[in-house]
Amino acid sequence: MQTSELMSALADGQLDGEDFAAALHASRHDDSAAACWDTYHLIGDALRSSHGVRGADPAFLSRLNQRLAQEASLGAGLQSAGPSQPLVQDLPAALPPHRSEAANDGEFRWKLVAGFASLAAVAAIAWNAAGLLAPAAAPQLAQAPAPQQVVVVASPQGPVVRDARFEELLAAHKQLGGTSALQEPSGFLRNATFETPLNAGR
Amino acid sequence: MNLKLLRLLALAGCTLPAMGHVAAQASPPAASVVESRSINDWLMRMHEASRKRSYIGTFVVSSGGAMSSAKIWHVCEGDQQMERVETLTGAPRSIFRHNDQVVTFMPDHKVVRSEKRESLGMFPQLLQSTDGRIADFYKVKQEGTERVAGVEADIVLLVPKDSMRFGYRVWTEQKKGLVVKLQTLDVDGKVLEQAAFSELQLDAPVKMDKLLQMMGKVDGYRVEKPLLVKTTASAEGWVLKAPVAGFKPMSCYKRPVTANPGPGDEPLQWIFSDGLASVSIFVEPFDRQRHERESSLSMGATQTITRQLDSYWVTVMGEVPMATLKLFANGLERKK
Repeated sequence: MQTSELMSALADGQLDGEDFAAALHASRHDDSAAACWDTYHLIGDALRSSHGVRGADPAFLSRLNQRLAQEASLGAGLQSAGPSQPLVQDLPAALPPHRSEAANDGEFRWKLVAGFASLAAVAAIAWNAAGLLAPAAAPQLAQAPAPQQVVVVASPQGPVVRDARFEELLAAHKQLGGTSALQEPSGFLRNATFETPLNAGR
Repeated sequence: MNLKLLRLLALAGCTLPAMGHVAAQASPPAASVVESRSINDWLMRMHEASRKRSYIGTFVVSSGGAMSSAKIWHVCEGDQQMERVETLTGAPRSIFRHNDQVVTFMPDHKVVRSEKRESLGMFPQLLQSTDGRIADFYKVKQEGTERVAGVEADIVLLVPKDSMRFGYRVWTEQKKGLVVKLQTLDVDGKVLEQAAFSELQLDAPVKMDKLLQMMGKVDGYRVEKPLLVKTTASAEGWVLKAPVAGFKPMSCYKRPVTANPGPGDEPLQWIFSDGLASVSIFVEPFDRQRHERESSLSMGATQTITRQLDSYWVTVMGEVPMATLKLFANGLERKK
């Protein structure tokens, strides 16, 4: 069973015997499993809460993002993520505030938060498949933080900083380093067409 | 079977099996000669096709999970070539190329960058001077035909002979050999990057003077002419202690940095190529604030390694396996 599925089942009280023991072991010793556990509990709290959702601690979220990104890169082997937008976004302030209880009161909140939950689950599973990451990770629920000049990208060696200088070097390599039989037309066109997603100030 | 006959067969639009059959009939000692000419032939044909055909198309590049596309206009008149590229994704860019002069419009910054790209004119000399070099490190395999962007294309696999470089699968339009799709493959044959026309209108009526006019419209833009100083690694005090098989140094430049110009701050760029792939070694002074940790990164086909070398910071980038980059990174040293 995948770690994320295991944690989910553990949180729902669906495991027993060997599976339960394995899950407990994982939650204690595996960083990414612990992160999953935290996420699922946050989701669970949100679904059950009648006071609207407390925003998650941003420091927790950034650690979560880093760990989940590392898990992704370990699973994906050589391939790394493109510039990673945080895959777990802070829940939006737009969630409806607490209203007096009604029969279907929780429904709207459920849908919003369920959407978030399924996004997180899908993201967690999709990471192990290389190449699904960058386009799929655009969350619709929350706003990404304002774009910064510096992007931290997951790689097998851990987070790598792509700053303005890195982008300049990359551009210089594409422009001048293209001494290749395949340069014309496809090489030149490829370099002209494909702009690695973060383009700082060029 | 001589070279001329092979060329005639290709131009006559003979089907692929016929060509393969002809090549296979060459006797073993001559096979390597036929083979090495074959790969150069294919490459020359690809190169020539772009100098002889005008077209309009939509080009799509997917690399490491991200995808970009652009609209392309290409026209040839005599020995002059022009290209216009309008990006359809990401930041809006209009790139005009007239032979080796490249002008890039950035409407979001109101800046236009004008530069001369030497490498663009280099190919035929590259093939002649290096002679059998590409054939020493790659072999060509024919893989059949496929329809791409509405045209029938021959598929050719450029297989590396060692594990130090990537392979390529090239689709060339059958009549003249224009490259319509290109895949970069890692050592396991997995596709790292793909660039292809999604639609293509061959022999489209593109007017060179119209494009030249557009290329010259710089009103309202700040014109940047990056200063590029050509030098040699040796003159700058650098040497690669052990050459990396197949890769020859092509050129070396000192490039002023646009973001934070400062004295002695320009990274040196030393470029190597094996004929199909290229590697750039960048050297700059070590800066404790910016250069925190050595790292490596994969972005589709492009790999990067950074490391500290005494009081310098070295960044190596190339469309080659990480292990090959490591050879470059570890082989660089100051001249004694």
